[in-house]
Amino acid sequence: MDLFLQALSQGILVGGTYALIALGMAVIFSVSGMLNFAHGDFLLIGMYLAYAVFLSLNLDPYLSVLITFPVMCLAGAGLYVFLLKRLGASHLLMAVQLTLGLSFIAQNTLLLTFGGEPIRVPSVVETDLLLVGNVIIRTPQLIAFFAALLLSAAFYATLNFTDAGRRVRAVQQQPRAAALIGINVPLVRTLTFALGIGVLAIAAVLIIPGTSMAPAHGLRWTVIALITVVLGGMTNFVGIFIGALLIGASESLATLYVSGTLGMIVPYALFIALVLFRPEGILKRT
Amino acid sequence: MRPEFFGIIRSPFLWGVIVLFAVLGQWASPYHLGIATQTMLYIALALAWAIVGGFAGQLSIAHNVFVALGALLASALFLRLGINMWVGLVLCAALSALIGVFFAYLDSKFSLGHLSFALVTLAFGEVGMLIVAGWDFVGGASGLSLPRDQGRLLNFEFGGARGYFWAALALATVYLLINYAILHSRLGFYLRTLRDNEAAAQAVGVYPFRNKAIAMAISAAMTSVAGTLYARFSNFVDPSFLASPTLSIEIILIATIGGLTTPLGPAVAAIVLVPFSELLRGWLGGQLPGLSHIIYGFLIVAVILASPRGLVPLLVKIFRQRGGKDVATISMQKGA
Repeated sequence: MDLFLQALSQGILVGGTYALIALGMAVIFSVSGMLNFAHGDFLLIGMYLAYAVFLSLNLDPYLSVLITFPVMCLAGAGLYVFLLKRLGASHLLMAVQLTLGLSFIAQNTLLLTFGGEPIRVPSVVETDLLLVGNVIIRTPQLIAFFAALLLSAAFYATLNFTDAGRRVRAVQQQPRAAALIGINVPLVRTLTFALGIGVLAIAAVLIIPGTSMAPAHGLRWTVIALITVVLGGMTNFVGIFIGALLIGASESLATLYVSGTLGMIVPYALFIALVLFRPEGILKRT
Repeated sequence: MRPEFFGIIRSPFLWGVIVLFAVLGQWASPYHLGIATQTMLYIALALAWAIVGGFAGQLSIAHNVFVALGALLASALFLRLGINMWVGLVLCAALSALIGVFFAYLDSKFSLGHLSFALVTLAFGEVGMLIVAGWDFVGGASGLSLPRDQGRLLNFEFGGARGYFWAALALATVYLLINYAILHSRLGFYLRTLRDNEAAAQAVGVYPFRNKAIAMAISAAMTSVAGTLYARFSNFVDPSFLASPTLSIEIILIATIGGLTTPLGPAVAAIVLVPFSELLRGWLGGQLPGLSHIIYGFLIVAVILASPRGLVPLLVKIFRQRGGKDVATISMQKGA
């Protein structure tokens, strides 16, 4: 039982970070209809940026986010302005191929720059542990979970209760009508891309303590973000958060109860089963 | 079958190029023959993918599953159970076709749409990789080594670098002809109408599931066969290459850079890109790993921004503006 609780809590905590990554993808999808197949690679860029900052300035990853967040925001804005904007709405599949190409560029540039060996970045809290009952909780994971929860809540509130959020939702629902009532659609999209990629810088530093990174991990992160977004129902942010916790928990429990690599398949099997039986996502669209 | 197809198979240009390759193979060194064989196999893979990715517009990222089946399962059946690789080739192709039909079923049952289809197949591609890594029968993460080739054709051995080059050249040629045949057949027209507007296609009586399932089955089986030949050609069957979704993406990028509206697109792109990346790897000798993939990435970005239909259609257009007429022009006029 202790083992079960241990795995469950760890899975849920990890799921929080998955939610943050998936939210970045979902918010981009919601305003542009494009799925970023290089999302996981952008996350890795964020992680390696934090690593580079640590190497050059000896800054703890939690502090380096002050530098990496603006950089990633610029990267997101650039991705939209210079590449995806030019495709237009009729070429959504082209966006898939283009972002797949970007993922090749990102992954192999990281490989050339940092090498293929897995890297760990030390952090002040890396080895801190917390004991709740018989369950051991690693402090960085706790920090990651609550930071993710806070950011997701802020995201949700911004979208639902502020004018900026209403503009984003207007572009999501009816770009043409939004343009007619005076919303600067390209600007909203650019800002959303900036935020959607920028949030990866935060997710990156939350993941770094206790996790190793290698350039080849990008695709795996992309897939995790994709299946979380689909589980949540594409643009339902509450659904995505719950979906992320589900993926995290199932992944953690599966590695406990299913032996070896086959355990890693469980989240995907869950995803495929859910797509088959609840194609609209785990929560109905709000 | 339309008359255009017979026009293409009688084209002296096409056969001239193929004969030229065959003749060049006579003088090439084993190293260059190896690169040529790999190129032909990539042509085969890209053409097989283009049947669903191009004609049907279904961006499958799960084709690594079919390559893995053909390469790893056929090899495992041979090594562990002593099943002749020709039999294994057929079995794996049939199994791949079944899985392909299953993908098409998912697509139609849940009306996935192009974007969701790409997404779901990426998940399947990743699952395929994980299954291979966790399944000791097919070699797990460490792969399989096939016994030395003794040139017995009945055992699926083609005897040395030249033999595999012939086999791969033949395979690529057959796949090119299959692509042209589908492009100009009823199925090809159905697939393109489904790609461009599924609702309108259904309204005029084109069954989405039946046609997509046939296309997917053909494409999956062709991919699997190419995988089996790849396995026998490379002797060591490496799952981290043959089962990884990265291979799917590589195939997609090559095919898309060339252009998906004509079978010449994927073929020409593979002929240019694969030797380039192999020679680059040879020159750099292990330095700068992944440089060729960075170049693929930049190429696809450039191609999509400059000529979204791909490079070959662009070249054909330029050629046609100058008043030329060749096999590519004919196929473009009727095909695209």
